[in-house]
Amino acid sequence: MSVDTDPFALFDLPRRHAASRDVIEQRYLELSRAAHPDNVVGEGTAARRAAVERASAVNAAYRVLRDPVLRAEALVKLGGIDLDSTDPERGAPHPTQAFLLEMIDLRERLDDGGPDGVAALRDDVEARCDAALDAAVDALDAGEFRRAAEHLVARRYFQRFLDETDSSAP
Amino acid sequence: MAYSNKVIDHYEHPRNVGSLDKGDASVGTGIVGAPACGDVMKLQIKVENGVITDAKFKTYGCGSAIASSSLVTEWVKGMSVDQAMQIKNSQIAEELSLPPVKIHCSVLAEDAIKAAIRDFQQKQGAPGSEGESKH
Repeated sequence: MSVDTDPFALFDLPRRHAASRDVIEQRYLELSRAAHPDNVVGEGTAARRAAVERASAVNAAYRVLRDPVLRAEALVKLGGIDLDSTDPERGAPHPTQAFLLEMIDLRERLDDGGPDGVAALRDDVEARCDAALDAAVDALDAGEFRRAAEHLVARRYFQRFLDETDSSAP
Repeated sequence: MAYSNKVIDHYEHPRNVGSLDKGDASVGTGIVGAPACGDVMKLQIKVENGVITDAKFKTYGCGSAIASSSLVTEWVKGMSVDQAMQIKNSQIAEELSLPPVKIHCSVLAEDAIKAAIRDFQQKQGAPGSEGESKH
């Protein structure tokens, strides 16, 4: 995988989830300065275009690296599993029927519950969402990409539920 | 992104939202999910004498996913199980004019009806997909 698609390589960081916020910020400033389009004013079109693309790649990598969820998903992708793909081999692993059934049940409880019930349900799912990320990070640290991907998929379902409760809140 | 009028119509007035009795032997339940976005879809059919007489769905997802499942429940009522098994996601996508980034919603609806039919067939102990695969 090239530097273009590996944010860790672009920022010269080890491929692991634990990351120092300060180091990421520092690298971002350095890389942004080096890639700034102002540096190539007066140069040819190709050089200017390359600078813009480089700056854009730096920004994209920064967006991923500073976000714990996107960082974990990027590591899983570097491990060969793309959560945005439906490919049976290399795409997101499918959750169990029991898990999907529970996701439906959660929505039905959301419809039935009053405001207090909704808040309690939301807190519960938020905790499970956080726990799923923690479990994914543990799996990543152990080099188990498949297991990490399964937890990250579960996290996406929890996140979706949380987004729905937030958007339907008065 | 602009949704087509048909998507908006099904989204604003979804047909056949609800549940059938999961324990009923004549009811098949299909539950599918889209791991990439967290959408979940439950589609149920009631089958009498080989014909689908009722269909209900509950979908938690984007407008296209809701419209796709709503459309499928409309289509399958009155169909034989075999006919319903032939529904292709491309037909759903075409009917709703889904843009390429929303094709996966129609795939989800096709998966859901197939899962519901398989569930029904397994309940019947009929020669469903398992029996065929043994040949």
